Amino acid sequence: MRKILTALPLIALLPAGMALADDDYEKSSRGEGMSRDAVMQIARENGWTVHEIEMEDGRYEIEGRDRDGRKIEAKLDPATQRLITSDYDDDDEDDDDDDYGASARNPAPAGTVAPPKNGLFGDGAPPKVQVN
Amino acid sequence: MKSLLATLALSTALTIPALASAQPVTLKTTLNNYGGDGAYLALYVTDPSGAYAGSLWMAGGKSKYYEHLRDWYRATGGDPTQINGITGASVGAGRTLEITLDLADALFDAGYTLHIDAAVEDMRDSPNEVAVPLTTEGAGTPVPGRRYVSDFTYDM
Repeated sequence: MRKILTALPLIALLPAGMALADDDYEKSSRGEGMSRDAVMQIARENGWTVHEIEMEDGRYEIEGRDRDGRKIEAKLDPATQRLITSDYDDDDEDDDDDDYGASARNPAPAGTVAPPKNGLFGDGAPPKVQVN
Repeated sequence: MKSLLATLALSTALTIPALASAQPVTLKTTLNNYGGDGAYLALYVTDPSGAYAGSLWMAGGKSKYYEHLRDWYRATGGDPTQINGITGASVGAGRTLEITLDLADALFDAGYTLHIDAAVEDMRDSPNEVAVPLTTEGAGTPVPGRRYVSDFTYDM
C-alpha cells in the first residue's frame, strides 16, 4: 500500500483554534476517545472539505479535499492524538470514488447478502467470522 | 421445449447433490506483530491447473486498496461481485482471524490450492503470502506465511 505520496504529522501545524478541541483531547488522553465534532473541528481548522468520517481499526478516517481541492485522506488516532494526512494526485484512480459514490464500488459485507455462487460454497450456514 | 426441460431437470438433479455435499470448514489466520495498520487479506482458491477458481474471504472493506492484493486483483480485476457476502474488517497485527464457511467437499483432495494475499498500508505488498493444498490429510496442520502471516490452519 504505497499509494501515499506524502505523510506528515500535522499536529504541530494546527492553528491556535485547536484549543477549541482541548476538552476532547484531554478525554482522549484518559482513553475516553474523541467525539466526531472534535474531529470535524480539526478538519475545519485545516481548511478541509469533509466527505466522510468513519471509524476504522480504532482510528478516525477522514476523506475529503484540502484547500487546493486535492483529494485528501487523513487518519487520526484518538488515543495518541496523532494526525497523518495523505495527498493523492489529481489523476489518481481513487478519484473515481467521486463519480460513483464513496462506497458504490465496495463489496457487500458478510451477513448482508449470500456468498457468491462460485461453486466453492454449499447452501448451508452463512459465514461466521471472529477476530481474536 | 420438452427436451430443454428434461435437460434442465437432469442438470438440476446432478447439481443439487454436489451442492449438498458440503461441510463447515474453519480457516484460522494468525498475523505477526509486524507493527503496522490492520492487514487486508484475500483468501482465494485456484484449481488443479492453477487458474483462479473463486474467493473464500476478503478481510478489508474498501475496494480502492484491493489492487495491493496483487495476485487476487490480477485474477479478478478487483470485481466486488467476487466477494459480495464474504467480506469483513481488516485484521490487526498479532490478531487471529477465524472464519467458518460451508465449503464444498469437492474442494478437498482434488488438486485445489488455497492462497492468501496480504497488504498493509505504508508497508510492502505480500501476494501469495500462503499457498496450501486443500487435502483432508493437511487439515489441522499450521502452515507458515511469508511476511505478515504467522501461520494458517484449516480445520474440518
